[in-house]
Amino acid sequence: MDILELSELSVRIILGTLGLTAFGIIFGLFYKGIDRKLSARMQGRIGPPLRQPFRDVAKLFAKENIVPDHAIPWIFNLIPLVGLIAAISILLYLPIGGFPALFSWGGDLIVILYLLLIPSLSLVIGGFSSGSPYAIIGAQREMATIIAYEFPLAIIIITIAWKFLQKGATNVFSLATITATPVWNQVTGPLGIIGFAILLLVLLLVTPAELSKIPFDASEAETEIAGGLLVEYSGRNLAMFYLMDGVKTVVLASLVVTLFFPYNLSPLLHLASYPGMALDILFYLFKVFLIILFSVTLIRVAIARLKIDQIVYTYWIPLTLASLVGLILVMWDSVVMNLFSSA
Amino acid sequence: MFTLESGSGFWNPLLWILIVFIAFLLLYGIRGFGRNTYKKDTEQTKAFLSGNKEPSPDEMHVKASNLYWGFTTSLNNVYTALRKMHTGNTSDYVLWFVIILAVLFLVFGVM
Amino acid sequence: MTVLDLLIEHAPALIVAIPLFGAFLMPLVSRVNEKLRNILALSIICLTGFFIWLLATDVLARGPRLYIFGAKNLASPMVRILFEVDSMSIFMITITVILAFIALVYSWSFMKEHDGLDKYYTLVLLLIASTLGMELTGDVFNFFVFLEISCIVSCALIAFFISEGEALEAAFKYIVVSSIGALFILFAIGLLYAQYDALNIATLAQVLKYTFLDKIVLVLLVVVLGMKAGLVPMHMWLPDSYGRAPPSVTLIIIGATLASFYGVLRVIFTLYGNVLSNAMRFALPVNVLVGWILIALAIISIIVGVIMALVQTDLMRLIAFAAVAEVGYMFLAIGTSIAALGSPYATTALQGGLLHLLNDALDIGLLFLVAGALYYATKKRLLDDISGLARNMKYTTVFFIIGLLAVAGMPPLNGFASKFLIYESVYQLNPILSIVAILCSILMLAIFVKVFYAAFLGPELPGFKDVKEAPRSMLLAMGLVAGLAIFIGLFPNIVIDTLVKPAADALVNHAQYISTVIGGI
Repeated sequence: MDILELSELSVRIILGTLGLTAFGIIFGLFYKGIDRKLSARMQGRIGPPLRQPFRDVAKLFAKENIVPDHAIPWIFNLIPLVGLIAAISILLYLPIGGFPALFSWGGDLIVILYLLLIPSLSLVIGGFSSGSPYAIIGAQREMATIIAYEFPLAIIIITIAWKFLQKGATNVFSLATITATPVWNQVTGPLGIIGFAILLLVLLLVTPAELSKIPFDASEAETEIAGGLLVEYSGRNLAMFYLMDGVKTVVLASLVVTLFFPYNLSPLLHLASYPGMALDILFYLFKVFLIILFSVTLIRVAIARLKIDQIVYTYWIPLTLASLVGLILVMWDSVVMNLFSSA
Repeated sequence: MFTLESGSGFWNPLLWILIVFIAFLLLYGIRGFGRNTYKKDTEQTKAFLSGNKEPSPDEMHVKASNLYWGFTTSLNNVYTALRKMHTGNTSDYVLWFVIILAVLFLVFGVM
Repeated sequence: MTVLDLLIEHAPALIVAIPLFGAFLMPLVSRVNEKLRNILALSIICLTGFFIWLLATDVLARGPRLYIFGAKNLASPMVRILFEVDSMSIFMITITVILAFIALVYSWSFMKEHDGLDKYYTLVLLLIASTLGMELTGDVFNFFVFLEISCIVSCALIAFFISEGEALEAAFKYIVVSSIGALFILFAIGLLYAQYDALNIATLAQVLKYTFLDKIVLVLLVVVLGMKAGLVPMHMWLPDSYGRAPPSVTLIIIGATLASFYGVLRVIFTLYGNVLSNAMRFALPVNVLVGWILIALAIISIIVGVIMALVQTDLMRLIAFAAVAEVGYMFLAIGTSIAALGSPYATTALQGGLLHLLNDALDIGLLFLVAGALYYATKKRLLDDISGLARNMKYTTVFFIIGLLAVAGMPPLNGFASKFLIYESVYQLNPILSIVAILCSILMLAIFVKVFYAAFLGPELPGFKDVKEAPRSMLLAMGLVAGLAIFIGLFPNIVIDTLVKPAADALVNHAQYISTVIGGI
């Protein structure tokens, strides 16, 4: 690598990070506002204006930053920043706005799966370091939730990679390969389509658990344990966690869109250059909005909160069995079509 | 050269460290806009227990063996079976060795 | 021949002889001065490391090297012992000498106030010598001799804390299990010698026909060496002995456990290398059968290790169960590469398994060192009794965080690099294996976050107000391991291209191993 390539790479890294930080934060808060407005309307209320999350963050920056007596100060203050940084770093590996991913040669699906753990892990360690019994109970519930939802998530990712492998692709975990030939083009029969539809449904049910939304937010139960693992956080640390929640929403919705719906509108309408790019970005934002509507807002207003052992049971028995059924259907997809084609 | 390639995917640790470093600089700066002060050693810094008085650290401390209650209770059957298996009896250790030896002899076609 | 060439030629013998000689010097030197004895032990390990480095530069560039003790030409009583050093042996002895150096630096201050240290250093150097011998030898019977030495020495070292009854019980269980295993290995070696009249691995590998007795030998060797490596359900001695030995001793016993794992690799890949793809059973080649059996036991190891570790209250027992799970990951990768011998992803799986060997030794070692530092500072073993130590022991907390992230496989540390290779090759054999591996990695994270909370976070209990930071040599040892973990995590390609790829190639290339001996006689 000579100096020219190196400088181009570093400019790309710096501009990409800054740009995607701004994108993640602004659109994360924006989608949070839409989510609150829609859920309020569904519950018969008027709800806050769309700019409310921005005002929330500004208010939190003006509040005092209280560090409890029994907390470990350096961990307590550093952890929200770590979580937010990790959530933003995932954005650089995902295809955003219909464009190819910035650094798809630097990270693939397994990397994203592990990087998604870091924000949840930061919530857990933040809760443990708060020095309050409510926070400790909330933190261990969050860790149990993480263990619960990783099982179906792992099944989904390995199934998608395995299907691509069967079709002869190389570098199957890389997101460039997955977006080049979408998942629905890789199946050859009805069994495969049903299998992938089941996996899509399971992924939509895993998303609220990752974001700690009702009905899977036993760790942040406001009514039971007075705020759970965030009970001792205030001021700018809580603002960091709030921003992390918004960015993580965008990240997870982008992941669902990338894995299952990476289609663009501009080739269909034969637009090129700037109008095409604008249309792609708008279509991408619309897809993310649909995902957030179905997996976060609708489920949030419809179902009550589950207990922690109910959460572990839900993810490990019914949803895991469903995704295993999806895996088996995808595996048999080629077998059935061979039967039909040779018979 | 610095990317780990496994034939099915990529991972470049140095790139990630650079991204994290730049994001850290930016967000640390943004975080600096917030307030840093609070009133030390007042009611504020005691743990919030919905208005109850804070007990001494001995009584308030959640012990490690009570952690992950939700997970261990959901898997109760598995845990009882596993605990019974780990007896601590040396003859049982050798018994498991002999069992695996016998099973593998059968599989490999010796017996 | 220059001095350097002379040194390289005799390096295999010197690598085993120097620690052995040093072990017998220890009682004499400790009568003179305690500090001199510590410095002498460290310099012996440094000298051994120097010879290993010399040998490594030669073997990695020019191929396997032979060293013969005894009859050099085909004289009629061909009584001799062979040391055959190929890149796989270099990889293993590098790991052993790194663990040994760190253990000796750590024991400088950890064992300072204990009695009987002359015996301790003697036994530690003997254990290091026998482990190095296990990994360098090219004879089956010599392997058994070094295995027996390491068993007996480890038993004595596990029982070091004689005043605690549990340590004696753990040593008793270890010696019973190990002796029974070693006797079965002797029986298997006897069967091989009776059939083929040869004892070195290369000659045996060349003339091995897959007879009925050879099947018995294969099963015996794989099961006994798997038991010594900690494969479930024969793993139950491992939490007892790792949990009760002094942590610096545990580090070297991890090296001995990995030497038994190396024994499994040698038996399957080299000794039975010719017959693996040819012999059939149930209409399948034998390598598919052996591979799938190892994979099945490995999956059970991972699951049982992680689930049992979640509910332990004794800190060192918890880390030992996590070590059982990590050994399961190694066997998963190796089983995949055996079952799929010849396909492109088999080499990736083998490289991932060998890199995981190195990473696991470092990560679990770091966790044991931190547990030892906690025991040294608070004299308590149970997690329920300690709390809030991050206020007083800042450096230990940072090292524990690095160990936690490394053993759970979080980017950018070394655990992620090897687990990345393992996931992305094992799923091609069967996707379910990869799924279980990912899930149990998350459970490992949960386990160590619980330990982190219990030991370091939480309120400050009144009994721990004047707990001091760990002494400097212990911090230095932990810092070295943490630095290595970070280095391997940030630059995995350097380690893989230098050490792991040649080792994986040498392991699969059993023809080269055989021709070095048969041609070099």
